[in-house]
Amino acid sequence: MEPARIFPCVLSVFMSLILDRFAVLAAFSQAADSDFTFTLPPGRKECFYQTMKEDASLEIEYQVLDGAGLDVDFFISSPSGHLLFNDYRKSDGVHTVEALEMGDYMFCFDNTFSTISEKLIFFELILDNMDMAEDPDDWKEYIHGTDMLDMKLEDIMDTINNVKSRLGKSVQIQTVLRAFEARDRNLQESNFDRVNLWSVVNLFVMVIVSAVQVYLVRSLFEDKRKNRT
Amino acid sequence: IVIYHPQFTVSLLVAWIYPSGALYFHIGETEKKCFIEEIPDETMVIGKYRTQLWDKQTTSFLPSTPGLGMHVEIKDPDTKIILSRQYGSDGRFTFTSHTPGEHQICLHSNSTKMALFAGGKLRVHLDIQVGEHTNNYPEIAAKDKLTELQLRVRQLLDQVEQIQKEQNYQRFREERFRMTSESTNQRVLWWSIAQTFILIITGIWQMRHLKSFFEAKKLV
Repeated sequence: MEPARIFPCVLSVFMSLILDRFAVLAAFSQAADSDFTFTLPPGRKECFYQTMKEDASLEIEYQVLDGAGLDVDFFISSPSGHLLFNDYRKSDGVHTVEALEMGDYMFCFDNTFSTISEKLIFFELILDNMDMAEDPDDWKEYIHGTDMLDMKLEDIMDTINNVKSRLGKSVQIQTVLRAFEARDRNLQESNFDRVNLWSVVNLFVMVIVSAVQVYLVRSLFEDKRKNRT
Repeated sequence: IVIYHPQFTVSLLVAWIYPSGALYFHIGETEKKCFIEEIPDETMVIGKYRTQLWDKQTTSFLPSTPGLGMHVEIKDPDTKIILSRQYGSDGRFTFTSHTPGEHQICLHSNSTKMALFAGGKLRVHLDIQVGEHTNNYPEIAAKDKLTELQLRVRQLLDQVEQIQKEQNYQRFREERFRMTSESTNQRVLWWSIAQTFILIITGIWQMRHLKSFFEAKKLV
């Protein structure tokens, strides 16, 4: 490769490194939704923070999937410290936060009321109006070739966009259903373990109690016999 | 190597490392934070994280923490470790699941010097993308030379494929759930019958034993 070609190439890369860094950082904002599942140990509180722009809205949905009473405390507070929502020992909940102020919103799951049971918590964040416009346009620059039939293309594109957003919704519903199913399954598995344990305990208790009863009754009569003679 | 689009390369590089999510949490020095991802098989998962350390002098979080890394450990549903690696202060890890189930992603900092944390916390920005969200469409468009329409249709196909995979996995999970329920139900039934039987036998044995005992002692 000739040096004459390399230099402008390198220079343009260097320039774009400087200038585009900030543009690209801003462009790659939050994906439409993200979900996390984590274990919350007993007596602990876990907090997560989400940066919000003004007039954006955040929907948060959480569920307790496993762990004793299947309940947890939950609260959301704004960047200035105001308590927006407060749930006390609920097993699932949905909240929508309208971002009136810009900043980091904090939401916490609190398991301090429990001393022995660890909770498995699933939560999902759905963000709206968070500068999504730049993201879809990014890849438009890199496509090759053109499409014929400009007028009809618009209609097809609209339909495709429609289908895409509906499929996105399907994915969200699927995630929620998966969380519900996981919770029911965990509940059933703990039922299974409990039935096994208490059946065996019951068996031992019955056998021991019957033996003890017989022994006690016999011992009562032994003593009386000794007293007589 | 022809760099037609320098912006393309840069944005690929930046998107590669910087998490596109703005969700963050605080982690202590020896603390380990674990996240569970329940995914079908042959699904790719990309995790990106960015760390910031609290600086006492400026009383704010520094944008980067040189020398501080995070250790990422990923376990598959059979609790076998499929990834266990150190990454820098900003990192990206990726894995593909080969068995469906609950995969566990654990992060903890590799810092051994207490001074580095200065009793504070580390802020970790984390983003985990699963399945079709991991596809890099600008790259695919360039590689396969797709028109806009073709790219859109490709996106739809990937989305539908992911939904289908998830549904198959859901069927498998529901079957396991049903087996557990039916097994529990059966055990409750058989145990109740067995318990009644044992109680009756024990009662008969006790009565007979005590009766023969009393007869032997000439009380009856």
